[in-house]
Amino acid sequence: MTRIVILLVALALGSISQTNAQSKYEQGMKKALELWGAQKPFESSNMFERITEVESEEWLPHYYIAMINALYSFGVTDKEKLTLQLERAKKHIEEAELISPNNPEILIIKATINTAWIAYDGATYGMTLSMKNAELYKKAFELAPENPRVVLSKAEWDMGSAKYFGQSTEPYCKDVERSLELFATFKAESTMHPSWGKDRAEEVLKSCK
Amino acid sequence: MKSFLSLMLLVVTSFSFSQVTITGTVTDKRMVPIEGANVYLKGTYDGSSTIQDGTFSFTTSEVGTQTLVISYISFETFELVAEVNTITDVKIQLKEAINTLTGVTLSAGTFEAGDNSKVSVLKPLDVVTTASALGDFVGALQTLPGTSAVAEDGRLFVRGGGAEETQIFIDGVRVFTPFTPTSNNIPTRGRYSPFLFKGISFSTGGYSAEFGQALSGVLQLNTIDEPDQDKTDISLMTVGGGVGHTKKWKNNSVSVNASYINLAPYISITQSRDTWNKPYEGLAGEAVFRQKYENGILKLYAATDYSNFDLLQDNINFPEGFRFSLTNRNSYLNGSLKYFFDNDWTLQTGLSYTNDNTNILIDEAKVKGDENSIHVKAKVKKGFTSKVKLSFGTEYFITRFKEKFSDPNASFTTSFENDLWGSFAEADIFISNDFAFKPGIRAEYAQDQDKWYVSPRLSVAYKTGDSSQFSLAYGDFYQNPLNEYLKLTNTLEAEKATHYLLNYQYSKERRILRAELFHKEYDNLVKFDDDFPIATSNFNNNGDGYATGLDLFWRDGKSIKNFEYWLSYSYLDTERDYRNYPQRAIPNFSSEHNISLVGKWWVEKLRSQVGFSHTFATGRTYTDRNTDEFLAAKTKNFNSLSINWAYLISQQKILYFSINNVLGTRNVFGYDYANTPNMNGVFERQARRPNADQFFFVGFFWTISTDKSSNQLDNL
Repeated sequence: MTRIVILLVALALGSISQTNAQSKYEQGMKKALELWGAQKPFESSNMFERITEVESEEWLPHYYIAMINALYSFGVTDKEKLTLQLERAKKHIEEAELISPNNPEILIIKATINTAWIAYDGATYGMTLSMKNAELYKKAFELAPENPRVVLSKAEWDMGSAKYFGQSTEPYCKDVERSLELFATFKAESTMHPSWGKDRAEEVLKSCK
Repeated sequence: MKSFLSLMLLVVTSFSFSQVTITGTVTDKRMVPIEGANVYLKGTYDGSSTIQDGTFSFTTSEVGTQTLVISYISFETFELVAEVNTITDVKIQLKEAINTLTGVTLSAGTFEAGDNSKVSVLKPLDVVTTASALGDFVGALQTLPGTSAVAEDGRLFVRGGGAEETQIFIDGVRVFTPFTPTSNNIPTRGRYSPFLFKGISFSTGGYSAEFGQALSGVLQLNTIDEPDQDKTDISLMTVGGGVGHTKKWKNNSVSVNASYINLAPYISITQSRDTWNKPYEGLAGEAVFRQKYENGILKLYAATDYSNFDLLQDNINFPEGFRFSLTNRNSYLNGSLKYFFDNDWTLQTGLSYTNDNTNILIDEAKVKGDENSIHVKAKVKKGFTSKVKLSFGTEYFITRFKEKFSDPNASFTTSFENDLWGSFAEADIFISNDFAFKPGIRAEYAQDQDKWYVSPRLSVAYKTGDSSQFSLAYGDFYQNPLNEYLKLTNTLEAEKATHYLLNYQYSKERRILRAELFHKEYDNLVKFDDDFPIATSNFNNNGDGYATGLDLFWRDGKSIKNFEYWLSYSYLDTERDYRNYPQRAIPNFSSEHNISLVGKWWVEKLRSQVGFSHTFATGRTYTDRNTDEFLAAKTKNFNSLSINWAYLISQQKILYFSINNVLGTRNVFGYDYANTPNMNGVFERQARRPNADQFFFVGFFWTISTDKSSNQLDNL
């Protein structure tokens, strides 16, 4: 999971070099992503939150708040802290979904929040939430079969379940390979839009060999 | 003019760039600095986060009066309206927000099973993977403290109360006949399949004013709002089979389910004490329709089942065997609508209709019963602030009962009509995250008695640490006399119980400890003066009783990897004078000590879940006819160890084995005595035993869904 974080940092840093004339919104988003890049995830989340207070029609700030709170809850053992963080993530991803329904990027974060619960206590949350995740990935795949993050996240999830049930993870390796092909040609809508995942795919592929 | 404009522009520009620095400190009420709070000017991007010492500082080019907002998770958002240039070095104390997720909970007496409730003692899967439960949700609840092991009955006996003292509700609406009727010593099961429910809340005392007509316990089952995906489930079992299908659309979904159970093949290869003329056969169907609206949800649930059997029970007074045969047809309809209005108003309405039709043959007597019941309910909830919530509602129960009795000598019909109106109001008041209380009141009017019953309820909770809390609960509870009395007399009043509970709960990282002391006073219990209630019996409300005890529960899913277990212990001291008891006595369904130990391993290498469950109970009372003493003798202790094994053939195919009472302990529930003494003047006796000591079960469960990963583990 730390790898994803590092990856996002790289993404954030990459966007700093953009020097075009930017709107106030773009500047704010850029600054928030920079904060994340500077290892200040919760300050970054606060910045995104300030943006959501002004920009009620943008899903991206909500998306990033949810993503940060979900990613940084992996490894948290204090249930109270975990609950607060994941509830916050859930609230924002739901708002993002209201603004931008049927968005595969949002579905991936929704599934990530569930995965954080499963990682915390598989016995309690595994059975019910894994079914929800299977459905979320399925829907994301139906919406965007060519989105490399969808292909990668779904493959990783399938690998995780196969591992849990003691089955071979091999069939999913070619999905990961496919995601890499898609990453090569993927072009994010803007520097603010999600574009993470390529390094992660390479990592996962290593475990296949 | 041109130069004036450029001058203006210059002024404006320079004005807007004259930046102000806003500084301050954020602490909680105890002056502890808060790190990570979001501080900003409302409607702008200008802001910052507080650092470790609680201070913040940021610049803004805004002017004039602005609103400074300080928000932090689990605290109430603070707003300060002031001239920007005056906001320097402000000291702000945030108030703790009332947090339903982590704050104190009003939980005395209640066990929750579900995903996200923090007082959850059972997980969704437990209901179906507990070794002794055999997929019956009631079976899993019997491993919780406060229940007594009455293995031959199968229903819930809560804290010295009879099985009829616990009521079952689906989505807040009453289920009038939740159990399939059975014969002596053959345990019944809940009628409804466990996987339609997302949450189960089992209260063994002190419950909310929303619930009436239950002296001892309330079991609430909540159906799933939205299924996860389209799927088809197929099950093949040694005792029958089932098919289920769920289809999901954008805003609605339908689930249907059918099962057929026939014990004939099982009985033909195993030994049983009774002779079956016709082994148990049951056919059941269920359908659920759910519709989501923008601000609400509508659910319709319908279930119907048919069952029959015919057997000759070994009985000391019937050398040829005691004939008992039964046919039961039951239909249940439940509709509920939940609607969210603006300003935190919620409306919840529900309607249920039950039709139950039973034909029983006991030796030579025929009993034909027909019950029609309706429950209508509306409940309104309003949150005033995060600290005060009010709920109130009204409900109406209608019961029409008719029974025809005939044997070679006589034939007669009994019936009754029972209408009851109830209303309740209750408030949840949170003084802080550590202290809350819930006062409530319930009023009921029983039409046939022309009598009002008013019952106060109160529950208080105090959090003593991050992971522990104390709760207290008190309440009066009334319940109308049972159908078996109402059909014979109309002179009876409601029976009454008063509960006092003191509860301690500790929960941290997958470990839960609960201890509850309780005292229950019974009053107005129904008495009659024959062996059985008959039309000529004299009935009165002069009975009473008490139950005092301690319940302990410990669950641990942390200490040992891939292993989870829970241990329940109940101590119960109870006596009552009711029915035809000559004086106060310990009823034969109560045991002084009850212990349940349930464990589950997930063995990754074998792709299996292996579980066991052991129940121990001290002996139950019976009357020895060779002495004069009433209910003074006690049976030997009860012991039953059950094991199960779920093996995942693949992600969607599961093989399941279980054996109940694997050690084959010969348990005795009581004794039947001969009606006449033998030549030596001694009444001979026969032990009441289960139909078979052991029960084994093999099942194959297959789920077909497009994503190929869901399965029926939660269906076992």
